[in-house]
Amino acid sequence: MKLSTRGRYGLRALVDLAANSGENAVSLMQTARRQKLSLNYLEQVFASLRRAGLVSTVKGAGGGYALARDMDEITVKEVLEALEGKISIADADAGSEKDEVQAAIRRLLWDEIDRQVDTLLESRTLGGLVRKYQCRMQIKRKDDSR
Amino acid sequence: MKISTKGKYALEIVADLAIHSDSGHPESLKNIALRRGLSEKYLERIIKTLKDSNIVRSVRGARGGYCLAAPAEKLTAYEVLKAAEGELAPVECLTKDTDCGIECGQCPTQEMWRSMWEVIKQTSESVTVGDIIKEANVKIC
Repeated sequence: MKLSTRGRYGLRALVDLAANSGENAVSLMQTARRQKLSLNYLEQVFASLRRAGLVSTVKGAGGGYALARDMDEITVKEVLEALEGKISIADADAGSEKDEVQAAIRRLLWDEIDRQVDTLLESRTLGGLVRKYQCRMQIKRKDDSR
Repeated sequence: MKISTKGKYALEIVADLAIHSDSGHPESLKNIALRRGLSEKYLERIIKTLKDSNIVRSVRGARGGYCLAAPAEKLTAYEVLKAAEGELAPVECLTKDTDCGIECGQCPTQEMWRSMWEVIKQTSESVTVGDIIKEANVKIC
């Protein structure tokens, strides 16, 4: 039961981009370098995020990607769904249960896990992750300069 | 983020045993396989995993077979899934070292994945095999 690398690395890169961009666009190259991810891969991932209306491209010198909306209004659920599709613990074959035992497991367990994970992912925002990340990096910088 | 077929079948098998067996009346592999639509060979592999984790136990003899090692009301879905699937972590790096390029202390997302893992664990811990067979509303033999 695993998230794919698109979801894992995509969210990681988006937090990095948001944490380092402020008001400006950022080139993906910097995020790729900081997060040790391939630029080629990030370009594909960000194309999905752009289609979902989460980031926009800025052309020209100093161009790159910028968040399309306030980071406190982007939920982790939106980001992951843009990258992975619907997040669900069991295959989306509801209704194809063969008998009452399968149907009961679906209702009590798979559907409930999906609901709880959904609630969690909706309650977390990109802004929340960014602030925690910035805090962690500040502590690291202090430690490094000591 | 998917449960494998092994995990799904493990839960079905345990629910099936809760319905069709008790310590005095173990159920044969053949009957479980028939009801669940599984090959006996595949079923045997899953049952072995469940036996190794003390979720089911085997009864020897002419009328031997398998039954649950503990009452269905005391057995959680989490225990069954953990035996069949491992830790249920949504990403690998929560349970073992992975080479993702950065240190965990500087990861922008690990805490998010950990919360997700907690939710998955807590929810599957809150459902027992007893709840499942009650929900399925089948008569216990």
